[in-house]
Amino acid sequence: MGKRPVVIGGAILAIMLLGFLAFQAFENAAVYYYTITEAASLEINGQKIRIKGEVLQDTVTYDPQKPLLGFSLSDGHSELPVKYEGVMPDNFGHAQEAILEGVLTETGLNADKLMLQCPSKYEGV
Amino acid sequence: MSIFGSALLWLTFFSGLGAILLGIWALAKQRRDLLGYSRRLSLISVWSVVGAAGLMLLAFLTDDFSLAYVARHSCRSLPLVYKISAFWAGQAGSLLLWNLILALSLGHIHGGQKYRADDLDIKVSILPNAVRLLFNIILLFLSQPFAPADPIPRDGAGLNPMLQSLGMVIHPPILFVGFSCCLIPIATAVAELLWNPGRREWMKQARPWALSAWGMLTLGIVTGGLWAYTELGWGGYWAWDPVENASLFPWLTLSAFLHALLLPDGFVGKGMLSYCLAGLTSLLVIFGTYLTRSGVLDSVHAFSNERMGNVFLGALVIMAFFIIGLACYRRKHLLGTRNSQRTTDGKTALLAASIVLFVLIFAGVFLGTVFPLISHVFLEREVLLDESFFSTISLPLFISLFVLMGAHTSRKRASLVIRVLVGLLAGAISYLATGGHMLGSISFAAAAWALAGQIMELLGTLLGNRDRRRIGAIASHLGLILMLIGITGSSVFVDEIYQVVEPGDTLEFGGYVLEYTGLQVQWGIDRYKVETELTIGRGGKVRGTLSSSKTFFEANDQPHTDVGIFTTPVEDLYLNLAGWQGQTAHLHIKRLALVSWIWAGAAVVLLGVLVLLRGDRNARST
Repeated sequence: MGKRPVVIGGAILAIMLLGFLAFQAFENAAVYYYTITEAASLEINGQKIRIKGEVLQDTVTYDPQKPLLGFSLSDGHSELPVKYEGVMPDNFGHAQEAILEGVLTETGLNADKLMLQCPSKYEGV
Repeated sequence: MSIFGSALLWLTFFSGLGAILLGIWALAKQRRDLLGYSRRLSLISVWSVVGAAGLMLLAFLTDDFSLAYVARHSCRSLPLVYKISAFWAGQAGSLLLWNLILALSLGHIHGGQKYRADDLDIKVSILPNAVRLLFNIILLFLSQPFAPADPIPRDGAGLNPMLQSLGMVIHPPILFVGFSCCLIPIATAVAELLWNPGRREWMKQARPWALSAWGMLTLGIVTGGLWAYTELGWGGYWAWDPVENASLFPWLTLSAFLHALLLPDGFVGKGMLSYCLAGLTSLLVIFGTYLTRSGVLDSVHAFSNERMGNVFLGALVIMAFFIIGLACYRRKHLLGTRNSQRTTDGKTALLAASIVLFVLIFAGVFLGTVFPLISHVFLEREVLLDESFFSTISLPLFISLFVLMGAHTSRKRASLVIRVLVGLLAGAISYLATGGHMLGSISFAAAAWALAGQIMELLGTLLGNRDRRRIGAIASHLGLILMLIGITGSSVFVDEIYQVVEPGDTLEFGGYVLEYTGLQVQWGIDRYKVETELTIGRGGKVRGTLSSSKTFFEANDQPHTDVGIFTTPVEDLYLNLAGWQGQTAHLHIKRLALVSWIWAGAAVVLLGVLVLLRGDRNARST
C-alpha cells in the first residue's frame, strides 16, 4: 500500500476530529456583540452577549458580602440595568466605559465578566 | 540625545538595507569580494541599534525627560530596576528592544566561525535583516522612541504600578529572545534553498535555534502567567486572551517543528513539513506582534495603532508569499526523492501523530482567536469565543499528546504494565478525589502514565550510555508533565470565598484557620497603602502569614492592589483585599491546588533544554 491514502485518510480524520471538537465547543462559547439599543429589543434566549457602554455612576450599588455589583449602562439612547457577581474593581468609581459579558434576563444583564476602560495617564499595557 | 538617537536609527536602517541589497547582488553575481562589505554593513546596522538602545537606557538611568518616551514611562523616584524595565514598558521601547535582540542574534551569526565558512552568515542574515527593516521603518516613522518632549517636564509620569513587578522586568526580553530565535530556522532554510539547493543541512543548522527559541518561549509564556497570577488580582494565570494566545501560536508550531526534525531522514516529505512549520512559526511571530500592536481584537494588552497594524499586515503578506513561493519553486528539493524509505516503525508513527496534534491545537486556538474577525466578515456581527471554547478544543488534544509521550518509551512488556497500572491508579484516585471530574481524572491518568514512562527512560539512560541529548529531552518532557499536573490540579481543585470580617474574626477555609486583626495604613511621599495581614494556622500551629494591600497614588486615580500568596507544594492560598469600610474588610480568598508545580515544571523544562543544547554541541564537535 502506498503512503498517499494513509496520509489523506489521516488528514481527513484529523480535520474531522478538530471540526467535532470545535462544533462542541462553539455552542457554549459564542458571545455575540450587541449595542445597548439592540439589546433592549432582543428576545431572552440564554445567548451570551457582549455589550459596551457608559457606566451611570449615580446608579451604582454594591454588596461586598455576596459580592454583587449593580449599575446601569447607557449608550446615550437607551439604558440597561446590569448585575455583576464579583468584586468591584479598584478603578470602578472612575470608569467611563465598561465592557460586559453575560446573559440577558427579564431584569437586565446578568454579567459574569466586567472590563473597564479608564482614563489613564499611562499608555496601554 | 534625541538627535543622536534618531541618527543611529537612520544609520541602522540604511546599513541594514545596504547589507541586504549588496548581499543579494553579490551572491547573484558571485562577487565574493563584495560579500565582505555586505557583512560589514550588517554589522554596522547591528552596532548602531546597540548604540541606540544604549542611548535609550542612558536616558532612563539619567532621568532625561527631554525624550517624550522617557517622560511618559519613568520618573525620578522610580527604583533602579524599574528605570531599566521602563525601557520596554511602552510601544516604541518594546519594538526597539526586539530590534536590538534580533540584531544581537544576527551579530552572533556573523561572528560564528561555522557560519563564516562559505559565507553562510550572509545568506542566513538576509531574512532577519528584512524583518529588522520593518521594525526600523516603524521606529523611524510611526512610533519614535527618540521623539523630543515639548515642553520638557520637571519629572516624568512614572511607570504604571502594574508593570512594577519582577515578572514584567523579565517577561518581555525573554519573549523577544524567543521570537528572534524563531526567525532563524526559516532563515537557514531560505539561505539553503536559494543559494545551496544541493545541500541538505539547514535542518541541522536550524535545530539549536529552534531549541533555544522553544525554551525561551516556554519561559516567556510562563513568566507572563506568573505575572498575571501575582499581579492582576483575579487568581489565575491564563485566560486565553488574544495576546496570550499569540505567544502560544509559535510555541505550538515550534514544538511540531522540533518533532519533525526527529523524523528519520528517509521519511517522505520530512523536508517539506519542516520547512512549512519553520515558515509558519516565523509568520506567527510577526502575526503576534501585529495582533498586539494593531488593536484589531479587544485585549487587555492592546497598544492599538491602526497604521502600524497595516504596516505589519503588509509585511506579513509579503513574507507569506515569499515563503510559499520558495516552497513551490524548490518543491523537488523539499519533498526528497520518491524512493525514500517506506517502512515506518511505531516510534516514527507516534512522532508523526504528535506533530499532527500540535498542528491541530494550533489550528483550533488560532481559529478561535481570530473568530471575531471571521464572523465580522461572514455573519455581519462580531462573535467572540470565550475561554470555554479554547479549553474544550485544546485540552483533549493536549492530553492526547501526553498519552503519546508515555507511549513513546520502552517497548518492554514490564514497562508497559507498570505504566498502565500507574496511569489507571492515578486516574481512579483522582476520579474519587474530584468527585467524578472526568476530564481532570483522564488528565491526571495521562500525566501519571507519561511520568512513569519518562522516569523509566531516564533511569535507563542514566544507567546506560548517559547520552546528554537523551537526558535533556527526557528532562524537558518531565518538566512538561509537571506543568500538566499543576495546570490540571489548579483547574480542578479550586474554591473561593468572599468574606466580610471585623478585627479579631477568625475564619475557617479549606482546613486552615485565618485570623484577621485589622488594617494598617502606611504613608509614603506620594502614596498611601492600606494593608491587612492574616495569620494562617493549621493543626493548632501558625504556618505563616498572608498579606494583601491597596496603594493609592497622589498622581493617579487608579489604586494598585497587591495580592498575598501562601505557597506550599500541595496548594496555594490567595488573598485579595477587595475593599473595606472603617476596619471592616472585604476579603476574597481562593485556594488552588498544585500551582507551584507549573513554575517548578517550567524550570525543569528549561534545564532540559540547556542540557539538550549542550549535548548537541558535544555531538557536533566529536
